[in-house]
Amino acid sequence: MPEKNNPPAPTADQPFVISRVFNAPRALVWKAWSDRDCLMQWFGPKGFTMQSVKLDFRPSGIFHYCMRAPDGKEMWGKFVYREIAAPERIVLVSSFSDAQGGITRHPFSPGWPLEMLTTTTFTEQQGKTTITIQWSPLNATAEGCATFNSARPSMNQGWSGTFEQLEAYLQSQQSK
Amino acid sequence: MSTAQLDLTFAALADPTRRAILARLALGETSVLELAKPFKISLPAISRHLKVLARAGLISRSREAQVRPCKLEAEPLKDAADWVNHYREFWEQSFDRLDIYLHELQKQDKTHARKK
Repeated sequence: MPEKNNPPAPTADQPFVISRVFNAPRALVWKAWSDRDCLMQWFGPKGFTMQSVKLDFRPSGIFHYCMRAPDGKEMWGKFVYREIAAPERIVLVSSFSDAQGGITRHPFSPGWPLEMLTTTTFTEQQGKTTITIQWSPLNATAEGCATFNSARPSMNQGWSGTFEQLEAYLQSQQSK
Repeated sequence: MSTAQLDLTFAALADPTRRAILARLALGETSVLELAKPFKISLPAISRHLKVLARAGLISRSREAQVRPCKLEAEPLKDAADWVNHYREFWEQSFDRLDIYLHELQKQDKTHARKK
């Protein structure tokens, strides 16, 4: 069956979508996501180093990690895998965590939802692999979900211009 | 800030007219009349948008002057932006690293193949 290169259509409660095409076959990309040593090589923002990683890659298994930020701060995070359909899809619940593996609020933004449902899909076309990640807040109220849903298109596309204009303003507010 | 507050912020930001109003207010305090000028909608419609923005805490109305100018409130907007950008940045940067890593892996594979 031919693979479609389009990201999957957003379903309910999936406000954020990020997608990229990698010049590598899907089997290799899947390995980079499912093997602990591989995952350590790339996971996390620029300048962050992995300090501790436990990966149990199976449904109900856990990825528990600690990253050190460039400023020395340590951040713990956790994935709990819900569904693993090699080599096409991974569904997991991500949260901030502590050293013991408990779920915690975001260290700098306590108002954030505790858990995010994250669906990652891998599609291959002519030796290239498209990865698409979709997020939605988990255990949010029905109203909350509807709101996120309605706001999703603007969050994914229409915000950057507004934010650029607002950036200077926000900075001036912070320096007060 | 609570999740309910974040919901309100996102709902307010979902509308393009309201985003345009916020962008205009980023330039400074403005009266409602002044604010309505660039839009092809009625003053009551603008007022309704302003109410949504006020309820989300994104703007405030001065009680002092008679024209009651609108002012942008930065904090809820910043929280919403942080929340979205956190996920975006985390993965954009991870993807950058993954791209390099996959490239290295494939180079290694080719070298191995040649040795065999």
